[in-house]
Amino acid sequence: MTVAEDSVSVNGRSVTVKSSAGTTLLEFLRESLGLLGTKEGCSEGECGACTVLVDGQPLHSCIYPALAAQGRTVETIEGISKGGDLSSLQAALIAAGGVQCGFCTPGFLMTLTALLRDDPSPDPDQVARAVAGNICRCTGYAQIVEAVAADLPRPGGTR
Amino acid sequence: MDFRRTDDIEEALASLAELGSDAQVLAGGTDVMIQIQRGELDPGTLVHIERVDSIGEITENGRLTVGALATHLELSRHPALLDRYPSISYSASLVGGWQTQAVGTIGGNVCNASPAADLLPPLLVHGARVLVASQDRGERELPLSDFVVGRRSIAREPDELVTGFSLDPVEEGTADSYRKVGRRGAMEVAIVGVAVRLSVDSGATIKEARGAVCSVGPVPFRATAAEESLIGLTADSDEVAAAGQLLLEQSQPIDDARATARYRTMVLPRVFESVVTDCYLRATGPLR
Repeated sequence: MTVAEDSVSVNGRSVTVKSSAGTTLLEFLRESLGLLGTKEGCSEGECGACTVLVDGQPLHSCIYPALAAQGRTVETIEGISKGGDLSSLQAALIAAGGVQCGFCTPGFLMTLTALLRDDPSPDPDQVARAVAGNICRCTGYAQIVEAVAADLPRPGGTR
Repeated sequence: MDFRRTDDIEEALASLAELGSDAQVLAGGTDVMIQIQRGELDPGTLVHIERVDSIGEITENGRLTVGALATHLELSRHPALLDRYPSISYSASLVGGWQTQAVGTIGGNVCNASPAADLLPPLLVHGARVLVASQDRGERELPLSDFVVGRRSIAREPDELVTGFSLDPVEEGTADSYRKVGRRGAMEVAIVGVAVRLSVDSGATIKEARGAVCSVGPVPFRATAAEESLIGLTADSDEVAAAGQLLLEQSQPIDDARATARYRTMVLPRVFESVVTDCYLRATGPLR
């Protein structure tokens, strides 16, 4: 998709960035656009709660300038569950018990969405490596990795 | 603070010539943005160069040249690096998580000049030369060991931009290896990081040895005394262990939030020895 140079495409909608130089993409998404699904955890690129996709790559929106996203596509958790219909991966995460407090969940889902686009059938090690930059303090990762396995398009998977 | 985005190298150099030390170069932002938020940096203008494509490529012309904007993700996947410079690919894959690797660049990792910078030891053992450009004085290059001059201190003039890094060729009988010690397997800052590059002759004797370390001094450095002591050896473990002690004598391990100086003192020679052994086996054996 071609995005105008002074705009950013957020979940397919073109918006103009009117932010100061130090404004992060996270602040822009939450405070200017009201997209509250993306969470602020550590604010320094360690925990992954703020993960969004920019041109398909996961990055920490808490340490990425909003103005750096100009001319690019940004995807947030709101773009994954369109109109409240859960994606199959979201449903699998719930079914596997991979969501407890839920604060890390949007970040995990964005990283996992990027992974599954790169590799539709990752093995558990690849899933674990992909989410190394996402921290969960409730469920303990095993259920999150199991949810991806359950969502794979193969026998035993639901997709 | 202003934000000036440029996609063109000449325009970027013109901005730096105009703004000088009032400018902060910004690529992926994974270090710079944190430092701004902590109040450690307060530049007048952020010069955003992330999409200057001409300095993002990995090219070969006698020496392999890695553009300053190559990301850690690109380093970890590039066929020429995986084949001949695997210590660089591997160290890049250990920097933060996917989110950091996708936007964090080699130029940023070097210019941030952290004592724990993972890319520095493997770049040092491959004889990296830093390519620097400015509008008024054109291009220059200098050895990486002369570029990183102190803890978070580099020999870059305010109007200069680092454009890339060129690496020594890797010939038959040469292998490299990197190992990082951390408390866990991901999202770690190195407690100790060790890179080794060895070349062996037809009799499996070490004819050239290079070692470099991070997190055991204010600046990552070449283990010069240990390197010299390895020349002429085979994989005799006593001699290699002695080289590890020479490396330790050149180090200044400290206590910090990640580990004690005592732990670093214990672990450094042992890790060096095991990386040398691993490297030797790959230089001489079927693993290569």
